[in-house]
Amino acid sequence: MIKFEHVGLRYGVGPEILTDVNFTLEPGTFHFLSGPSGAGKTSLLSLLYLGRKPTRGLMKMFGEDIGQLNRHELKLMRQRIGVVFQDFRLLNHMSAFDNIALPLRIMGQEEKEIRENVEELMEWVGLGEHQHMLPNTLSGGQQQRIAVARAVITRPKLLLADEPTGNLDDEIGLRLMNLFDQLNRMGTTVVIASHNTMLMEKFGQHSKLILDKGQARLEKSEPKSTLKQRIGDMF
Amino acid sequence: MKIFSKKDRRLGVAHGTRKYDLPLEKGNGGSFLKILMGLMTILAMFAFVASFALSAMTERWSAGLANQATVEIPAENAAGVLLSQEEINKTAQDILVFLQQNSAVETVTIMSEEEIQSLVSPWLGEDMEFNDLPLPGILSVGFKEGVAVDTKNLEKRLKNFGEPIRLDTHATWLANVLKFTSALNMAAMLITGLIGLATVIAAAGAVQSRMSMYRDELELLHLMGAADRYISRQLQRYTFISCFQGSAMGACLGFIILFITSLIFKEKEIALLPNFNMSLTEFLILCALPVLIALLGMITARQTVLRTLAKMP
Repeated sequence: MIKFEHVGLRYGVGPEILTDVNFTLEPGTFHFLSGPSGAGKTSLLSLLYLGRKPTRGLMKMFGEDIGQLNRHELKLMRQRIGVVFQDFRLLNHMSAFDNIALPLRIMGQEEKEIRENVEELMEWVGLGEHQHMLPNTLSGGQQQRIAVARAVITRPKLLLADEPTGNLDDEIGLRLMNLFDQLNRMGTTVVIASHNTMLMEKFGQHSKLILDKGQARLEKSEPKSTLKQRIGDMF
Repeated sequence: MKIFSKKDRRLGVAHGTRKYDLPLEKGNGGSFLKILMGLMTILAMFAFVASFALSAMTERWSAGLANQATVEIPAENAAGVLLSQEEINKTAQDILVFLQQNSAVETVTIMSEEEIQSLVSPWLGEDMEFNDLPLPGILSVGFKEGVAVDTKNLEKRLKNFGEPIRLDTHATWLANVLKFTSALNMAAMLITGLIGLATVIAAAGAVQSRMSMYRDELELLHLMGAADRYISRQLQRYTFISCFQGSAMGACLGFIILFITSLIFKEKEIALLPNFNMSLTEFLILCALPVLIALLGMITARQTVLRTLAKMP
């Protein structure tokens, strides 16, 4: 489903940030993306959410060679990807509701459907009372939940998250991980960039994509227990 | 839809439904564009009114002098000897009879001494004593409409009554005036064109500044898979509304200025453009200016946005 073969990335005429990245992520799998600071996690994520094009190598997503896609096809491809940015990137001039509804509006969904879906999801992430609030008046944790809700509202085929639990307390963090897990079970491929070793330990059944010195290696872990058991262990 | 109070807004509650995904209504850039469009509209209105007035003037002069000619009997003969008034009157009578027999001539009249004096008095002064001044004889000739007149041949035959006699069809004078007015008209159109160009540049500049101001938001929409048209539609709508609002205000102000100017002209009896009244079509063209300027702004916005978005991966 996602295949990188000898992928390299450089910014302008600078050195290569990613030198030779090779991996394959099967559809419906769950991965943690980790590595030391400056290893290129954000750059790899930007390639995955199609914010950049690799400077060399083959990059295939959903069975398509990215280099061969035209502008319109790239747009449609992006609509199948949900992203939770580290700095959330919420639009502060519009309400929490409108922020979450934005991807659906871009896809041209009916307003009635949008209202139903967004209201349900906002209740689920504990923001039901804050639909009309502007994001910059909410706490960091609440903003993060809006960012996550916006990323998952379209039920994307690929979900990318950059430190999604960073500002959240354990309970909300686990609820979000549970949400990611549910999406994963419904067929969404999940890639979470994280420094949180405890989180990675708790959800150790998922494989790790480790980036180091511009190269990547995939470490597959054996499932030790079910997610429900792990969540239970945390309380 | 819920109605929120000012207090709610202070508390950070969104009011009403969103208009744009980009925060286009924030900042002063919109006001700047509106003021600029207002000024452009006023200037365009003046240029159009000047053009309308010149066209009306040219048309009136052309119509007034069409099929008209003047026969001039100079006060002195070919040898430079002054003719007496009786001699001039006799020649005028002979020419009158001659022209009345010409089938192309519809009307011919001899201008009285008083009429000729009133014609020359603006150049010589009202206090001039005309008794001592030799005045030429003048006949006003009106030709039949649609009949081709060989003026050269007619003038040749008129010279049989006296070598210095001239037939003036006003063609040279009219041609010069028409050249002058059409040059002024061209200048008015050129100014209108420059105003249009300035509108395009202003709209493109405003859109580019908005796009660079909200580059992060724009990139976010792009990464969510928003089509270029989806993004450009918002900036098009914003630009159209801003340009229209500014231009409509400019048009209102322009009409007020034109009205006051016409009142001052009437009050001071300045007859630069005698009896110039705008036709309904001309008035409608001025009324349509805000829509035209807004459309121009909108098209420019669309092109600017699409060109900028095309640079994104």
